[in-house]
Amino acid sequence: MLLLFFAISVFLGLAVFLSGSKTVTRILTLAYAVLLILFTVYAWIRMDTTELTYFTFDSTGVLLLSVLAVLTLPTVYHGFIYTSDDSVKRFNIYHSGLIALMSFMAGAYLENTMTLLWIFVEATTLAVAVLIYHDRTETALEATWKYVFICSTGIALAYLGILFLGFIYGRGNAPNLSFSSFARVISEANPLYLKIAFIFVLIGFSTKMGLFPMHTVTIDAHTVAPPPVSALISTTLMNVGFLAIFRVYTLFSSTSVLPFMNHVLILSGLLSILISAGYMLKAKHIKRMLAYSSLENMGLVAIAIGTGSSGYYAALLLIVLHSFAKSSLFYQMGQLSRVLHTYKLDDSGHYMKLYPAGAMVLLTGMISILAIPPSGMFISELLIFRSLVMNSQWLVLVISIILLCFVIYAMSTRVMHIVFSSPRNDPGQLPDRVNPVETVSQFILLAFVIMICLYQPPFLNDIINQGISLLPR
Amino acid sequence: MVNYLIVLFAITLMYFASAERLITFIRLIALQGLLLCGIAVFELKEVNLANLLFIVAETLIFKTMVLPYLLNRIIRRSGVTKVHRQAIPGFYLLIFSIFGLLLSVILAVILVNPFINPVYLAVALFTLFTGLLMIVTHKLIISHLIGFLIVENAVFLFSLAVGNEMPMLINIGILLDLFVGVLILGFFGLRLKPHTNELTLLKD
Repeated sequence: MLLLFFAISVFLGLAVFLSGSKTVTRILTLAYAVLLILFTVYAWIRMDTTELTYFTFDSTGVLLLSVLAVLTLPTVYHGFIYTSDDSVKRFNIYHSGLIALMSFMAGAYLENTMTLLWIFVEATTLAVAVLIYHDRTETALEATWKYVFICSTGIALAYLGILFLGFIYGRGNAPNLSFSSFARVISEANPLYLKIAFIFVLIGFSTKMGLFPMHTVTIDAHTVAPPPVSALISTTLMNVGFLAIFRVYTLFSSTSVLPFMNHVLILSGLLSILISAGYMLKAKHIKRMLAYSSLENMGLVAIAIGTGSSGYYAALLLIVLHSFAKSSLFYQMGQLSRVLHTYKLDDSGHYMKLYPAGAMVLLTGMISILAIPPSGMFISELLIFRSLVMNSQWLVLVISIILLCFVIYAMSTRVMHIVFSSPRNDPGQLPDRVNPVETVSQFILLAFVIMICLYQPPFLNDIINQGISLLPR
Repeated sequence: MVNYLIVLFAITLMYFASAERLITFIRLIALQGLLLCGIAVFELKEVNLANLLFIVAETLIFKTMVLPYLLNRIIRRSGVTKVHRQAIPGFYLLIFSIFGLLLSVILAVILVNPFINPVYLAVALFTLFTGLLMIVTHKLIISHLIGFLIVENAVFLFSLAVGNEMPMLINIGILLDLFVGVLILGFFGLRLKPHTNELTLLKD
C-alpha cells in the first residue's frame, strides 16, 4: 500500500505538471487529496507495523500524518482560489509542487531510519522552494534564495549530526542507521558524541521546525509564500522538523545526556519566545507577525519537551492544535489580501465592516493561537506551566509568562486594529468583495481547537500517550 | 599517502583565509575536489567497485569541474574579481583560521575513537569551521556560496571517515552535493545579483 501511495503520488504529480487544462489539474489535485486521506486511514489501521523495511506506522508519525490529512483539502481549496488567475503553466507548477511537498512530508512522518528521514526533509526544501517562488517577484526570489541557502546549510549540519551518530558504531557493526538499531547500541555510546550529535541535529532540523537559532529562514518564507503554502510551512512542515528532533530526543532519552538535552531545549525555547516577542512588538506585516507567532509556539513546544513529565503530552497536543489554528489564520490571509490588497498593518483596517466573516476568523483565530480560553491551546500551555512548577523551574516559568504577555499584547492590538480601526494610511485601491463561504473550512478548524478545551477525544489522548510512552516519566 | 592528502587539504583551507581574488577561491574549490577524490580512492578500500567509481566520478566531474565552471560563469557575469567586502580584514581572518585549526585539533583529540583517524576528524572540523567563518564574515553572495561548498566538503570528509563501514552515508552526502550544487549555483546563483549583498527587501 505504501509503495502504491508513493507510485500514485508520483504519477499524479507528473500528470498535474504536464496537464493542459486547469480543470484536469483541479481534478487530479483533488484525487491526490482523497488519496492522502485514504492513506491516513490505512495508517491508523496498520498502526505499529512496518512496511518496505524503512517505514513504520508509529503513533507520533500517524498523528502528524493525520494533521496533514485534515489540512489537505482546505489547502488545496484555498490554493485553487489563490492561483485561479495564473497561467496554466504556473497553475500546474504550483499544484505539482504542492503534491510533491505533501508526499515528502508524509514520507518523513513515517520514516524509521535517520538517513532516509534526512533525505525526505531535504526533498521538502526543494518542493517548498518551488512554491515560495510562485509569484516570481524580486522578494519571492530573495525569500526562496534565503530559504534554500539556510535550509541547505542546516540540513548539512543535521547530516553531520547523523554522521556523529554513525561514529558510535564499531567496524563490522554498521546497520542501516534505523532508530531501532540505534536503540540497541545507544547505551554503550560515548555521551560526548551523543551531545554533539544532538546539537547538530537540533540546529540542523530547527531550519524546518522554525526554532531558534535557524528561525529566520521560515519568517522570510512566510512573508512571501502564497497563504495556503504559508499554512503548510507554518504547521505540517514545522511538524516534520519537530518530529526529526523528537525522534532523536526519544532515542537519547534513555542515556545520561537527557539533562543536557533538556537544558538545551529549554534555552532554545526561551530564546525563541524572546525573539518572537521582540519582533512581534514591532511587526508591521501581518504574515510576518503570524510567522513570529509560530516561532513563539515552537519555543513553547521546546520548553515543554525540555521540562519532561506532563510537558511531553502538552508538546504533542500543542503541535496538533497550533497546526489547526495557525493554518486557519494563514488561509484567512489569502482572503484578507484580496479584500484589503495588502498585508501591511498601516494600510489595513475596518475589516469587520468590509468582510465580517473574515474578521470573525481573525478574532477567533487570535483567541485560539494566544491560548486564551476556550482555546484548546490553553490546556496545553497550562500543562506546560504545571510541568515547570512540578520541576521547580521557577525562573523559566516567570520569564516565559512575562514574554507571553508581550506576545499577547502585540498580537491582540494588531488584530484589533485590522478588525475595528481605520487604516493609518490612505488605501490606494477600493476593497474587493469575497464570498463568506470561503471561510467555512477555517471555522471548522478553529471549532476543533475550541472543542479540545472542553472535551478531549479518547483516541487523541491514546495516540499522544502512545507517542510518549518510550520517554522517561 | 592519505595523511599527506588530508594535510594538503588543510593547507588549501588556510589559503582560503588569506586569498582575496574570487578566481583563487574557485581554483581552491577545484583543487579540494581533486584532493577529496584522491582521499576517497586511497581510503575506501573496502567498498565495492561500483560504489567507489560513483564516488570518484562525483568528486572528479562534479566537485572538480562542474562546480568551478558554474562559479566561473557567475563571476564572469557579475564582473567582480575581488572579495572587497568582508566584515573583518583578511589578516584577522587568518588569525581566526589558525585559532580554528588549533581548536579542531584539540576537539579531535578529545573525540578520539578507535575507528576514526584523528587527522580526518581534525581536518573535517577545521573545514566546517572555515566554511561557516566564510559565510559569516563575507558579505558577497558569491562568497556565501563558496563558504557553503566548503561546508559540503567538510560533510564529505566526515562521511569518508565512516565510509568503509557505511558507504550509504557517502552516497547520501553526494546527494546533498548534487542537490544543492545544481539548485543553488545553477538556478539562484545566476538569477540573483551575486556581486551584491542587496538581500534586504525582506526585513522587519
